Amino acid sequence: MTKIDLTTRLGSLQLKNPVLTASGTYGFGEEYKAFYDPSLLGAITVKGITPLPRRGNPAPRVAETPSGMLNAVGLENPGLEAFLATHLPKLEKLNTPVIVNISGFSLDDYRLLAASMPEDSCIAALEVNISCPNIKGGGLAFGTDPRSAEEVLKITRRHTRLPLIAKLSPNVTDIVVMAKAVENGGADIISLINTLLGMRIDLKTGRPVLGNIMGGLSGPAVLPVAVRMVYQVYQAVKLPIIGMGGISSWQDAVEFMLAGAAAVGVGTANFVNPMAPLEILRGLETYCREQGYGAVREIVGLAHR
Amino acid sequence: MLHRETVIENRPLAPGSDLYRLVLKGAVAATAQPGQFVHLQVGVATDPLLRRPISIAGSDRAKGEVTLFYRVAGRGTALLTRVRAEESLSVIGPVGKGFTVPAAGELLLVAGGIGLFPLLALAAAVDRSRVKVKVLWGGENRSFLETVGRATLFPLGMDYAVATLDGSMGHRGMVTDLLRAELSAELFRKGETGPQNVAGMAAVAGGGRGGQRVIAAAACGPKGMLQAVTGLLLHAGVPVEVSLEERMACGVGACLGCACTVRTADGALARKRVCRDGPVFDGKEVVWVDQD
Repeated sequence: MTKIDLTTRLGSLQLKNPVLTASGTYGFGEEYKAFYDPSLLGAITVKGITPLPRRGNPAPRVAETPSGMLNAVGLENPGLEAFLATHLPKLEKLNTPVIVNISGFSLDDYRLLAASMPEDSCIAALEVNISCPNIKGGGLAFGTDPRSAEEVLKITRRHTRLPLIAKLSPNVTDIVVMAKAVENGGADIISLINTLLGMRIDLKTGRPVLGNIMGGLSGPAVLPVAVRMVYQVYQAVKLPIIGMGGISSWQDAVEFMLAGAAAVGVGTANFVNPMAPLEILRGLETYCREQGYGAVREIVGLAHR
Repeated sequence: MLHRETVIENRPLAPGSDLYRLVLKGAVAATAQPGQFVHLQVGVATDPLLRRPISIAGSDRAKGEVTLFYRVAGRGTALLTRVRAEESLSVIGPVGKGFTVPAAGELLLVAGGIGLFPLLALAAAVDRSRVKVKVLWGGENRSFLETVGRATLFPLGMDYAVATLDGSMGHRGMVTDLLRAELSAELFRKGETGPQNVAGMAAVAGGGRGGQRVIAAAACGPKGMLQAVTGLLLHAGVPVEVSLEERMACGVGACLGCACTVRTADGALARKRVCRDGPVFDGKEVVWVDQD
């Protein structure tokens, strides 16, 4: 059987394969150790970190939707100090590249987070979250205004040598404008999409289901929106793309790669099938073999021919 | 932790009932603890998307079987009713932190509606020659209590009392009325002598013969009922563990979807994951009304 080259290059970030996990769906890696060895994946992306600990939003935080779900966790996280002291040493033991998602409410927050992340640890890259829909102020505000998005990337760039991934929000009129803004700001990689803003109302109570009223939609329902945006961004900027949004099978992953994603993030699918990332990785390999590709990177962007 | 379990039985408790018994054979039974749950995939399509958490009501290690009960409440559970014997289901489990199993003394199980189910697993796990178990159970009406009770609690030969809102069976009123009556001695003494020192369920192990009873309690049911029950029990100096329910996505602690609020030992508020840090919590740490 021919060996397929699964290695993936995202700017300066070299990964052994293109299957990653999406932030907020994989905890700090510990939870899925019971199912398989996380180091089999290209990298894992951990929960968004803010400078100070956050308790997040009140329950209910999740609601099911047709072929999807809404979440409004509200960036619950232990904060920078506890992340570095408690979680990072545990992540180090997973023996795999870790992408740390950083979220701020001000430029100073992003500066602090970037400057505080060690450059000689298992942290392989920082994902700059300018797209969380579930917090008031900051977050999405940075992700919908191109000038703010560029500023956030610039300030982050100045305080770390780690590769920077800008995570884009789909809740904008023109995704291309945002992609160009973060490219100008100094991002090395673009990841998209974060969740789509949505809400549900409970017919029994007549009230919104989520404690936060609105939340972010994810799961198979958002896949076509995400594929479209990856396709558009691939045409508009030169940066490598991590595609995500409803990926739950290898077929979905292939679709994102054909649209232009050099790597894919598996998110909500983890909740349904904890083995999804590994199954997707094996499926990608089989697909390449059957289609006669020697390396998975050969399929990136083929839909643009 | 991810298994395919064979369905041994999946049928309504009575003809036409929306309450089902589901028996699964596989790896879960070997390690299931009372209070834990399984996270079931109810279909193969993407709609409904998420798994359904269902508490384990009983396990038979020799046969490798776990028994679950569920009520058809929406599309997911409706889909589950269509699964037939000998088919298999994708199951994550057993998951969660369960109940403390007391070694001696008295154990009060306080249930609201289908909150009875996880308490059945605890009742089955205690050594009933050393622990005196009593069940207090509130339900909508006689029809509900008889349908569920005949299939579960009534044949066990355990002491129990029931309450119905419409008075069609047992006490007319709420399960908290039954609890207040049950605790009358403790509540009376409390009124006379002030608070007792009860340091968690370990206190039970000392035995309960002569003088004051040594009681522990476990409860499961709707949130309002749990809050009232916990308040009453703690006031009477009886430690209580409660099994909480919350909308859940991953079931393994990764998504932070099923948050509840607790007050930690140092008095600070903290969020916990119902799926992984619970679903069973010490009643005295649970903050019932979310602060923000």
